[in-house]
Amino acid sequence: MKREEAEVAVVGGGVIGASLAYGIVNRNPSVLLIDKENMELTASRGNFGLVWVQGKGFGMPHYADWSIEATEHWPEFASRLEEESGISLDYEKTGGLEICLGAQEFEERKNFLGQMQEQSKDGTNPCEMLSRSDLQSKLPDIVLGDEVSGASYCPHDGFVNPLALLKALHWGFQQKNGKYRHGHSVLNIQKNGCGFCIETDSCLFQVNKVVIASGLGTTKLSKMVSMHVPVRPERGQVLVTERTKRVFPFATGRLRQNADGSFMLGASNEDVGYNLETSPEVLSSIASHAIRIFPVLNNLQLIRSWASLRVLTPDQKPVYVESEECPGAFAVTSHSGVTLASLHSNHLPDWILDGKKPLDFDVFHSRRFDVP
Amino acid sequence: MTLPAFDYVILGAGPAGMAAALTAREHGVKVLVLDEQSQPGGQIYRNIETLKTTRPQEFQKLGQEYQSASQLVENFRQCGVEHWFERSIWQISKDLSIYHVNPEGEHDSSVPSLVQAKHLLIAVGAMERPMPLPGWTLPGVMACTAADVLYKTSGLVPEGKVVLAGSGPLMLLIACRMLDAGVRISAILDTGNKTSTLESLPLLPKALRTPSYLFKGASMIWKLRKAGIKMVSGVQTVEALGTQKLEQVRFRKGSMTETLGADLLLLHHGVVPNVQITRLLGCEHQWYEQQRYWEPKVDEWGNTSVKGVSIAGDCGRVAGSKVAELSGHLAAFDMLYQMKVITQKDRDQKSKHLFEQRNSHLAVRPFLDKLFQPSKNWLVPQDDSTLVCRCEEVTVRQIRDAVKKGALSPDRVKSLIRCGMGPCQGRVCGLNVTEIIADESGLPPETLGYFKIRPPLRPITLGLLAQLH
Amino acid sequence: MFRKLSEDRIKVRISFEGEEFFVDTDQSVASALLAEGHQVFRSSVINNQPRGAFCMMGVCFDCLLEINGRPNQQACMVPVKENMVIKRQISSGNNPS
Repeated sequence: MKREEAEVAVVGGGVIGASLAYGIVNRNPSVLLIDKENMELTASRGNFGLVWVQGKGFGMPHYADWSIEATEHWPEFASRLEEESGISLDYEKTGGLEICLGAQEFEERKNFLGQMQEQSKDGTNPCEMLSRSDLQSKLPDIVLGDEVSGASYCPHDGFVNPLALLKALHWGFQQKNGKYRHGHSVLNIQKNGCGFCIETDSCLFQVNKVVIASGLGTTKLSKMVSMHVPVRPERGQVLVTERTKRVFPFATGRLRQNADGSFMLGASNEDVGYNLETSPEVLSSIASHAIRIFPVLNNLQLIRSWASLRVLTPDQKPVYVESEECPGAFAVTSHSGVTLASLHSNHLPDWILDGKKPLDFDVFHSRRFDVP
Repeated sequence: MTLPAFDYVILGAGPAGMAAALTAREHGVKVLVLDEQSQPGGQIYRNIETLKTTRPQEFQKLGQEYQSASQLVENFRQCGVEHWFERSIWQISKDLSIYHVNPEGEHDSSVPSLVQAKHLLIAVGAMERPMPLPGWTLPGVMACTAADVLYKTSGLVPEGKVVLAGSGPLMLLIACRMLDAGVRISAILDTGNKTSTLESLPLLPKALRTPSYLFKGASMIWKLRKAGIKMVSGVQTVEALGTQKLEQVRFRKGSMTETLGADLLLLHHGVVPNVQITRLLGCEHQWYEQQRYWEPKVDEWGNTSVKGVSIAGDCGRVAGSKVAELSGHLAAFDMLYQMKVITQKDRDQKSKHLFEQRNSHLAVRPFLDKLFQPSKNWLVPQDDSTLVCRCEEVTVRQIRDAVKKGALSPDRVKSLIRCGMGPCQGRVCGLNVTEIIADESGLPPETLGYFKIRPPLRPITLGLLAQLH
Repeated sequence: MFRKLSEDRIKVRISFEGEEFFVDTDQSVASALLAEGHQVFRSSVINNQPRGAFCMMGVCFDCLLEINGRPNQQACMVPVKENMVIKRQISSGNNPS
């Protein structure tokens, strides 16, 4: 059995774990990033790549603000990470659209954003509604489908190449002498006199602090250090087309055009447990929806498809928690690992290393799920 | 919705698929055969019907084996099998619903675009093992079997300065065919390794049980030498040079480097099973060390680990057309037994002589597989700037860097550097990626896994996909 | 790079890059173009390098062409048909960094 020591271990090499590890290593070089080998369940590798505010935080205004703050940090975060890793992220703050089909969808969207505005702390909401003609004038190079009734627009939204982001975080982390340890399945995390002992199938890691950012494995690992962090999988399927001329310079929740010209379509929400197969029926309905928005997509070829599992907490909002029984053990999980990457690497290291919490941070504590 | 259903759907109308169809039809089972080409024959007997009727001279030149296959094709045509040609599979669901399109990626109104199989036989054959080397993406550099396809389908033969590089019996066969067609071959660069020749010798006695294969091999070499073709053995590196297209081929043997003018460079590095469909279906695969490729795990009848799915022919362990044909019959007999059309006793009785014949053809294989073992120089390109993934243009160096940063499986490498993400879905780069990861990490290839294969197996339009809805 | 053994087959008319040819029927677009001496079919998506037919059996997807206005068609799999309008496929997407 090999042994290794460090100040901090981050368990989980997805975009959340890597953002945290990359942020922490900037302040303290003694960081381990412990990753598994099988990546099938890794949500970060099936990600749609949105850096997204629109509609987030309903019922938790602080999360809406947290998301906006994240997008405000993104340009600087992206350029620093690109410089340090040498990897282009293809990040574009394009503004985001939610395109509506039919009058009813448009009304529903409008009402929803109205409610978001009412619940916000300062009574504002960054989104506005665009009529069909406003929308078409923003999109001179692509013709809207007959059913398109308009869209909501939010200037903070954008997108990034999610695999490039993950790679850049890993490269950046390793460039600063962070230690990436892969091929480990964590069997146990135990509090001991000098911190925590993380036991994997081939190694014992002794660290002062441990951060659990293990996606769908978070619940199980958190329990080992007395934290209750419920998460469940939700399947989403994604399609990528051949490359074509760049005609659509915006992000939407279900459709966007990558820097290389390929279209990415997505966003099914399926409760099917740990099933990672794609299904022709769902792929078909995603394609059909996209063609109703932009009929020209009809002739574009599908090159790849995949299914991936989102990591959802019961209210689909982030959890940031430090164990009360085992201080020094943290758990971080969120379905918005890409959007929040900027804050996770900028703000959370202060919390993990020095206990300095951002303002109103406790709303993200997992005790909100405890049954009273 | 009720789908058109068939008892037995066979993918591929090569020797294995045709044989299976014949046996199944003899017992009255409802059979559908799908193939990408416009007529039966597979790659080995490609275009056989047209050649026989419209180009009899060339048909004669293709030799005894090719000619005798026309009887098989005729029987196949007359056995009452439903066959749909020019069909590419893009998805097969777990319940064996099969989705297919024409070569343009469209539906034809002539046949249903979705069919259901009770039992599926995959007989899609092999592909050439890619042989990445510097400049191999230049127009004018082609796979060796591509020349064979052009000959059979279009009556085209290479012209100008023609160089062949690689190793294996198929390269010799194709070279001989070219000679017969009057092609002048400038040089044959043999990249086979000498150690495997020595190591294969102990396997020779068993191989002598089927001397015809050995005799055929020896006579091909003799024929090429007699024709005065420059044959260089022990070639260690080959480079294709040119800007817009191939102009020269440079090779090294020991300390000697030589540059030849070239209009066409044909590469051959043996053949490997096409496992795209068995991977898509989630069949278990195993690593065949001798020939360094993945093959589906099967029993003696060709049943895979997925219920209702079997294989026959070179999409499993590569063993040539005769074995493929016999395996096709065998797979069909077991399917008939599984479907309770015949009894176990019937099956075993009817299969006995087929197994015997197959075993005698297989006797030569351990010897050949060792003799033509792919050598490491070509599995792991020595020049780090060589493109491995032709679609997304990823080099050996990029793959090595990804491995150094912790990517220890083809899927990890893919997600980091897009290797295998293009339209060919990793068909071309898959095995080399495995070899490079193994080389860089020191881990055995069988522990590294393979790309997760997902639909679509070939590109289809979003419009076509949407129509399923 | 290739020559034809005989010249006695039925022909169809196709155009490639605006130039018209009469080519043998019953063959793929790729072999028809190779018979006419055309080797460069497209430019690659990342480095914009010339590419042509490679495997001729539908495996490698290197022979992609624009056929009758539709890009990314596999020239080695699509049979030639009367009046086909064929163009080189010049990488139309933006190249990723």
